[in-house]
Amino acid sequence: MTLYLQPRVDGDLRLVLEDRDLPHRLADGLGSPLNLVLPGRVGHNVRRFRDIYHRHHLSGGVYFAHKANRSAALLRALAATDAGVDVASLGELQHALGAGFDPGRIMATGPKSREYLWLAARTGAVVNADSTTELSELAGIVAAHALPRVRVMARLSGFTSSGTNVMSRASRFGVPAAELGALWEVLGKHREQLDFLGVAYHLDTVGMPEKATALEGCLLAVEEAYRHGLSPRAVDIGGGFGVSYLADGRQWEAWTSELTAAVLGKRPPITWNGHGYGLRNEGGTVRGALSVYPAHRGVAGPDYLESLLTAESAVHRRPFGTLLLDGLHDLHVEPGRALLDQCGAVLMRVEEVRGDGRGETLVRLAGNSGDVALEAHGVLMDPLLLSRGEPGPEEPAGVHLTGNLCLEADLITRRKVFLPRLPRPGDLLAFANTAGYLMDFSVGNALMQPTARTVAVVRDGDRWRWCLDEQYWPVLGREETG
Amino acid sequence: MRFDHVTDVIGDTPLVRIDAAVHGLNNIDLYAKMELFNPFGSVKDRAAWNMVRHRLPGAADRGETVVELSSGNTAKALAVIAGMHGLPFRSVTNRMRIPEVKDLLLLLGAQIDELPGRSECLDPSDADDPLTRMYHTVSADGAGYLHTDQYFNDLNIEAHLRGTGPEIIADLDGRAPDYFIACVGTAGSSTGVARALRAHDPAVTVVGLVAEKSDFVPGIRNLDEVHEVGLFDPDVYDTIEAVSSDDAIDGLLTLVRRCGTLAGPTGGGAYQGAVRYLRRIDAGLTERRTAVFIVCDRVESYLSYLRERRPALFRQQARANTVRSLTAEDVAAARTVGVADARTWIDKEHPLIVDLRSPFAYRAQHIDRSINIVDEQFGEMLHGGLPFSTRQPVLLVCPVGEKSARYAALLARMGHPDARSLAGGVIAWRDAGAELVRD
Repeated sequence: MTLYLQPRVDGDLRLVLEDRDLPHRLADGLGSPLNLVLPGRVGHNVRRFRDIYHRHHLSGGVYFAHKANRSAALLRALAATDAGVDVASLGELQHALGAGFDPGRIMATGPKSREYLWLAARTGAVVNADSTTELSELAGIVAAHALPRVRVMARLSGFTSSGTNVMSRASRFGVPAAELGALWEVLGKHREQLDFLGVAYHLDTVGMPEKATALEGCLLAVEEAYRHGLSPRAVDIGGGFGVSYLADGRQWEAWTSELTAAVLGKRPPITWNGHGYGLRNEGGTVRGALSVYPAHRGVAGPDYLESLLTAESAVHRRPFGTLLLDGLHDLHVEPGRALLDQCGAVLMRVEEVRGDGRGETLVRLAGNSGDVALEAHGVLMDPLLLSRGEPGPEEPAGVHLTGNLCLEADLITRRKVFLPRLPRPGDLLAFANTAGYLMDFSVGNALMQPTARTVAVVRDGDRWRWCLDEQYWPVLGREETG
Repeated sequence: MRFDHVTDVIGDTPLVRIDAAVHGLNNIDLYAKMELFNPFGSVKDRAAWNMVRHRLPGAADRGETVVELSSGNTAKALAVIAGMHGLPFRSVTNRMRIPEVKDLLLLLGAQIDELPGRSECLDPSDADDPLTRMYHTVSADGAGYLHTDQYFNDLNIEAHLRGTGPEIIADLDGRAPDYFIACVGTAGSSTGVARALRAHDPAVTVVGLVAEKSDFVPGIRNLDEVHEVGLFDPDVYDTIEAVSSDDAIDGLLTLVRRCGTLAGPTGGGAYQGAVRYLRRIDAGLTERRTAVFIVCDRVESYLSYLRERRPALFRQQARANTVRSLTAEDVAAARTVGVADARTWIDKEHPLIVDLRSPFAYRAQHIDRSINIVDEQFGEMLHGGLPFSTRQPVLLVCPVGEKSARYAALLARMGHPDARSLAGGVIAWRDAGAELVRD
């Protein structure tokens, strides 16, 4: 059985990767590994989130979570839309300002230094605070430097549920929802410096009930804020909308079933050294949990937002979308991965194909697991094989992809990857749809291998134009002026 | 029939023949083992009682809590039994997927812990999942838990090896059926019954039914999940087949509508899977055979499950005076009033201001002197006719003026001469700087 996990690739990304010539020319000229980004796609992704807003008559911001990818081209393309940006460091804030985001569209989140707080306050970005201490410090900076009043949001955590006890992973960020008294006190005391916009949560989970519990908690906190004489007007529900990576859910089901069988020893391993991705065999029974990203998801991205908004609040017995609208709240979201769906790929050249003497085929690539962080993020999907010259006949081959680091552990993925035919040295493997978190998120150069250049590819009629990432600006060609 | 304890009522369920005109098998007598007649409503009453009974003495004194990883019938039975013996019950579950069962468990006094969902930004080095961690906590000695451990507890199998299986043989006049078809959940009932039947007659064919992988049938594990079940032994089954939620609902409908058997989807799946399997054999038979399947529990807890998958089953009568019956033209013709004009109108004619938003939002801020009737309740009121005089002008408000326009149109159609919708809603009102108050 050929256990493909074929990626879902569409739009311009598919066309670029199907071009027989362009990817090879780019990799020949700029080296392997090479990152491709498609800034033309992000506007479409923003619009799909906006459609959900319109359907629910909601207003508020779609803030791109910058940490998903540091590409300048993608950021500048987003600056040209009505999206905002969620920055999580001083560097990201500077990057966003330089990319053309006016501060009104910038949300500053994450662990914050004094410098970061100052620049956010000075420019007028929204400061999304993790603690009451941070708010006090910010108020101090604003007062000491005579800065204008800063718009702030407070991130909450540790929500309690009604009915059942919905457990959630503990977060190291946020004001505990049970201890809001101190928050109201700080906001009341520093009214001159802090303009309280509303409350936020960000949960690291794909679980809808946890998010519903958190949203419920935010609505209750807003109510409490009113009682303390504040007038919040926004709820920020963070990100985590997700992407469905695979084209065919049946492949995902078949692969996970076969993994279970392999862990139980009922079939030959389908991973390097029989790695179980969290599953283990205890006396013929599978224990543990599959610790990978759910690569095929029925509901992801904007559709996930839609199902959250149509889900009914257990407390108010009314859909969350309606409750947000009833309360006249702006809804802010901070998608990263979902906004970069179909926005990029990582190319790697095949260096060598050989047997390992134990019956397995090793395909060594000019690139490593830091250049495409599939394994670090548990995303399992096949690369596309871009043959150089005339492709050979189709004959599925199961191979292990090894990297260019002199380390036993440097595998691009521990999964045995099936390709439509055995690659040849000089061919390219394209890891498609990797712009969100997978591109150069974990890159390092301890072994002094080349780090990938990033190239922006843009459609120009029926041709492709490309430039280095930092050369891209959303002014294409010479616009007509008259 | 007189009993001292309700737990004595567990078991000894009837075996009822399914009419051949319903299942259409020519050479096979098909019997349903009616486990829905157990006192707490399901086959799990047997396992729950058998796993817990010998550990009850002194448990209350030791301050123990009964705990089980269950989101369904086992939890229900254990909650009842724990309550009868003065013990708290805690149900740990990945997800409560059946709202009626969740509410029933809360009603019975259970504590329900839902485990966290999967992480969106994965940390692959975090190898221990929440379930395993929970498992270690409740299994530790002296932790104060009476953990019944249904997926690994041999007493679960034993309940059926000594109870359900022998009962079937007795009711078939001392013969084992030729075919036994069961859904695989904890594998307790299928394994226990299969062992009892085979001990009597090794020729019995046992068919295990599992759910299709992306599907969800309550009480049945899918093809992968069965491997996480300690009691599951593939050698018990001559064959394992998949049933879908569609199959389960089709079977359920046959049982409830034509067989007088108010079965839930697990029983429905067992029936459908049984008939599908037996039909392939039936044509080649030259002598009579018997087959038995288990009706696990009752239908009433699954109404929302059914409604979600087959909304057409719950067709509702068209009601008078609903916003759904309005045409786009009706809504477009609704009388609206902008914020500035509305303020003048309010000062001059004192219309009744009806705020259609949730009480929660209304409490936070609203237009002065408005009354709050949530849109759904307002809709309910209108089914019966106009709730206010036609001489009383009405201003309807909602967040953006969309719902209020629909209700203004409906009021107009019902004969109200002056019902207006606030254009742009409370948001436009706020943005125009008009006053919002809290009481």
